[in-house]
Amino acid sequence: MIPELHDKRLIVVTGKGGVGKTTLACALALQSAREGKRTLVCEVNARERISALLGRPEVGPEVTALDENLWAVDVRPHEAMREYALMLLKFESIYNAVFENRVVRYFLRFIPSLQELVLLGKILFHLKEKRPDGSWRFDRIIIDAPATGHAITFFSVPQVIIDTVPPGAMSSDASWMRDALVDPATTAVVLVSLPEEMPVNETLELHAALRDRVKMTTGLVVLNGFVEPRFGAEDAEGLSPELAEMVTTHRTREAMSRESLEKLRGLGVRVVTVPRLLLADFDRKAIERIAALLGGT
Amino acid sequence: MSPVLREAVEHSDVVLTVGSGGVGKTTVAAALALRAAVEGQGSLVCTIDPARRLANSLGLEALGNAELPIAPALFDAAGLKPRATMRAMMLDMKRTWDDLITRYAPADKRDKILANRFYQSLSSALAGSQEYVAMEKLYELRTHRDYPLIVLDTPPTAHALDFLDAPNRLLDFMDNDAAKWLLTPALAAGKFGLKLFNLGGSYVAKTISRFTGTETLQQLADFMLNISGMNEGFKERARQTRALLEADSTSFVLVTGPMPERLDEAIYFHTLLKQNKMKVAAIVVNRVHAPVPVALWEEVARLPTQQQQKLELTLKESDLQARQDARGVAKLREACDGTPLVLVPRFEHDVHDLNGLYELSHWLWGDRLFEV
Repeated sequence: MIPELHDKRLIVVTGKGGVGKTTLACALALQSAREGKRTLVCEVNARERISALLGRPEVGPEVTALDENLWAVDVRPHEAMREYALMLLKFESIYNAVFENRVVRYFLRFIPSLQELVLLGKILFHLKEKRPDGSWRFDRIIIDAPATGHAITFFSVPQVIIDTVPPGAMSSDASWMRDALVDPATTAVVLVSLPEEMPVNETLELHAALRDRVKMTTGLVVLNGFVEPRFGAEDAEGLSPELAEMVTTHRTREAMSRESLEKLRGLGVRVVTVPRLLLADFDRKAIERIAALLGGT
Repeated sequence: MSPVLREAVEHSDVVLTVGSGGVGKTTVAAALALRAAVEGQGSLVCTIDPARRLANSLGLEALGNAELPIAPALFDAAGLKPRATMRAMMLDMKRTWDDLITRYAPADKRDKILANRFYQSLSSALAGSQEYVAMEKLYELRTHRDYPLIVLDTPPTAHALDFLDAPNRLLDFMDNDAAKWLLTPALAAGKFGLKLFNLGGSYVAKTISRFTGTETLQQLADFMLNISGMNEGFKERARQTRALLEADSTSFVLVTGPMPERLDEAIYFHTLLKQNKMKVAAIVVNRVHAPVPVALWEEVARLPTQQQQKLELTLKESDLQARQDARGVAKLREACDGTPLVLVPRFEHDVHDLNGLYELSHWLWGDRLFEV
């Protein structure tokens, strides 16, 4: 694992939509598991993709083993709510009587941000779980988090609850969740970006918003789709206009990659580049290659 | 192919761009609004994207809830002479909620609602409420302004269908049997006895309050009681908003990229829009890689070794990308039979100014055609 992440128990992968968050989360999880860390990778109320990327059947809302030392779960609101309620109530019969009640279910939908709280609560609960011998059930949890705007809302939820909900079970849970998220010794954010102007700008904004508004620390920036230098100006000489344009185009992408890298380095956080992978099928092999490219082992 | 998008825009007064994040949805929305204005159809483009991408693509520093005209200097710099005005706005969720309450709440309830903690988190932090606000704003703009064209950029797919459902959900919140059941004792007790479902005694309430604390229930009861008088206004608006979405003069433009992981979402979304009887004018497949012409391979084969190696590698990469994209387009065409596809080639530069938006509009408008 990359040095900036190797002692972190919670890794939050986020960025603009379409930059490759899920792929990255998946590659990090694979790498973590390979190092012998018991790793849980979580998708949050999304269309499940990680199991398919690793060539495994769908895992659904139950924590399911995918590989040696690797588990996955697709955290969904209904099941998370049930788990959360059962944890507090201890008795299934009470849960069924109260929470499966139509009126109550309706009511719970309108407790502000309760859905996000239980989703996050379920993920972070796994951070505290221990095995009979006292060791952690999961050494590391990786969250394939929502994209930019929703990520800020999502991770702000514990603070929103602390500010709006009077003391009680919900707000004390929110307090420890907030503490775990903002503790730089426990948690690191991985921001995924692309070498284009808008994704880079969004990465800079997201970094600032997470730092200032949510108080979370960026541990690593991954610049995906990086184009390595290949051509010099002289390579375009003596070619047909079409071919010369291909060279120019490639050089533009090289330049864009270089500029993006410089801008992102301005954050003062380590930036790792991952080249654009051109493969016929985007499957487990691609993930394995990205995991290898991330290096750090 | 006929200029399907141009015709759809010309015959619409509302266009909604929908799709997953990172496919260029906001850019397509802005390009359509720009092109319409250039052609003489005054337009407003409205985005609710929290990342302020539209501001970026219009070269603006920031947008507020205000409908700001695009500065003539920007058009001049792009060498464009629009025949009508183009405006842009970014939705301020909190402001829109506050305006709504101010407009609809009875005078004696207004301040209580605005100060209620539930209201505050509902209006600013509650996920899903931005979809409601977008629909609300769309309705307001449609009825209180006379833009020949409004282009609304919706939030990315993870939540995108919520906007279809949003007006109904708010109604559901205030007007379903459960709400009535919860509120009846409070309503009967009058404003000094807001003991929602008898907090002290009820087994259900006791259990819930172990989660939330009793004060939370009380706050929610106050909130619901205060907004309960607003039902009729909201209900009427929800009905009209839905009618607006289904109207002949409203078109949806589904935006996607050609890569496999985006396609499944696009197909899913297309199905849902159809099920909801929404008119999908076209699917824009953005950033498609063009195939490599045979002549280029031949030319590369004749080059000196070193140059040849580098260019051959580049051609191979392009070819692989183009094939992957062509497969994606074919899959989409088959799955969304009956809805025209508008392909846009991948540009070498980010679209982040009016020039770039206008360039993009050539493909959307059908001035230029691209097929794979």
